[in-house]
Amino acid sequence: MNEGWLALTQQALSLLFSLDPEVWSIISVSFSVSFAALAITLLPSMVLGFLLAFSRFRGRWLVTNLIQTLQSVPTVVIGLLVYLLLTRMGPLGDLKWLFTQKGMILGQMMICAPVLVAMSQAAFTSVDRRAWETSRTLGAPWYNAIWAVCRELKVPLLLAIIAAFSRILTEVGCSMMVGGNIAGVTRNIPTAIALETSKGDFAQAIALGLVLLVLALVLNFALGTLRGKAEPRSH
Amino acid sequence: MAKIIAQDLEMRFGDKHLFSAAELIFSQNQVIHLQGDNGCGKTTLMKLLAGLIKPTQGQVQAIGYSLAPWWRSNSIVGKALYLHQHPYLFDGTVLYNLTYPLSFSDNDKVRLNTRTEQAIEMAQLGHLLSQSASSLSGGERQRLAIARAWIVEPKLMMLDEPTSNMDKHSQHLVLQMVADLKKQGTGMIISSHQSCMLTQICDHVWLIDNNKISSNDKVPEAPPTLAVHINPNMLNNMA
Repeated sequence: MNEGWLALTQQALSLLFSLDPEVWSIISVSFSVSFAALAITLLPSMVLGFLLAFSRFRGRWLVTNLIQTLQSVPTVVIGLLVYLLLTRMGPLGDLKWLFTQKGMILGQMMICAPVLVAMSQAAFTSVDRRAWETSRTLGAPWYNAIWAVCRELKVPLLLAIIAAFSRILTEVGCSMMVGGNIAGVTRNIPTAIALETSKGDFAQAIALGLVLLVLALVLNFALGTLRGKAEPRSH
Repeated sequence: MAKIIAQDLEMRFGDKHLFSAAELIFSQNQVIHLQGDNGCGKTTLMKLLAGLIKPTQGQVQAIGYSLAPWWRSNSIVGKALYLHQHPYLFDGTVLYNLTYPLSFSDNDKVRLNTRTEQAIEMAQLGHLLSQSASSLSGGERQRLAIARAWIVEPKLMMLDEPTSNMDKHSQHLVLQMVADLKKQGTGMIISSHQSCMLTQICDHVWLIDNNKISSNDKVPEAPPTLAVHINPNMLNNMA
């Protein structure tokens, strides 16, 4: 049994280090789709998080709770919703995005947006109000003051980005339903792992799993270093 | 001359009436000692005049400032500099904090650089420049905050209980910078519920009492020992 595991791991490493085109195509699809979804969602989500933290409007409580709830919606449910939107009979059917990377990006945007909004709102809520006041009273225009506040919150905001990225990079349900797991087009790491495992081809599944594991380690170590550098404030 | 004028001012928090005033004028060349018991609204009044909060009633306007470009709002925020009782220092080094406002100042860059060097000397921060601002003591933080303000030569400035957490040495250094700003014509409000070294240089008094703000010329106190505290050589060098 142990020898079997060892052989599988060796095969997995060989697939990665020999730059196997199929494995690296899957990795490339995964990263390009998730980066695109994150890049499109990042700024609007942060702005919404900022507004929810600092403005007081009717229905703010409702919006906040709705976003908190959306964080825990299973990705297959979001996949189903996006599928219904993009299917030929759906309201966005004319876009012909079903089973394309664009469709996957749309789905992943809907998954990562609530995480980004909720976590950035929590970060902005925790900020020391004096940061904003000091910046403004020293003559900074509002946009510079926002930047100053974001700079003070770089650790929790980066944490939000990493959490959102991890969630979309590892989700299976939505990618499977909206992307269709088409080889070389919409097959990404989680859908490929699910497929290869069901076929009994564990070497490729382990290779792709290792990529996710290394990525998780790198992100968490980077964040840990950043947290370590951030010193607590006495006032 | 730069002024901030508040008219028909009233401030309430829910049902609680904090204070009201028919008219308050805070202008350059005026150093005001803002007096009042704890919780009477000194900080709130200064934040109102700095544009950081809005009054329940009345209006606050700034006069004598150039119009901001079209893409920036012309609100009164940023017209009068407000220093918190516990100053906020940004995450970064002491030098980063000192130079933070330089890019927003309209003053000549060469002059700002010269003033930065002078401020470092006056506040005795030279040996701390590369240190993280979060590692400073209470007095050093206050000195840094006032030095940062001194560099940009504000027309109007408000100091909220500036000496509340400072030792004598830091108080002397802060007094030098504040006295120098007075000499340059900066209008100042210094809040303190009791007299201290800094309040001795004030020439007006605003008193918050019984929810009303009254304004008076200062009754002369026993001659302050200001000349002893200020290093005349340093002031001459700066001039």
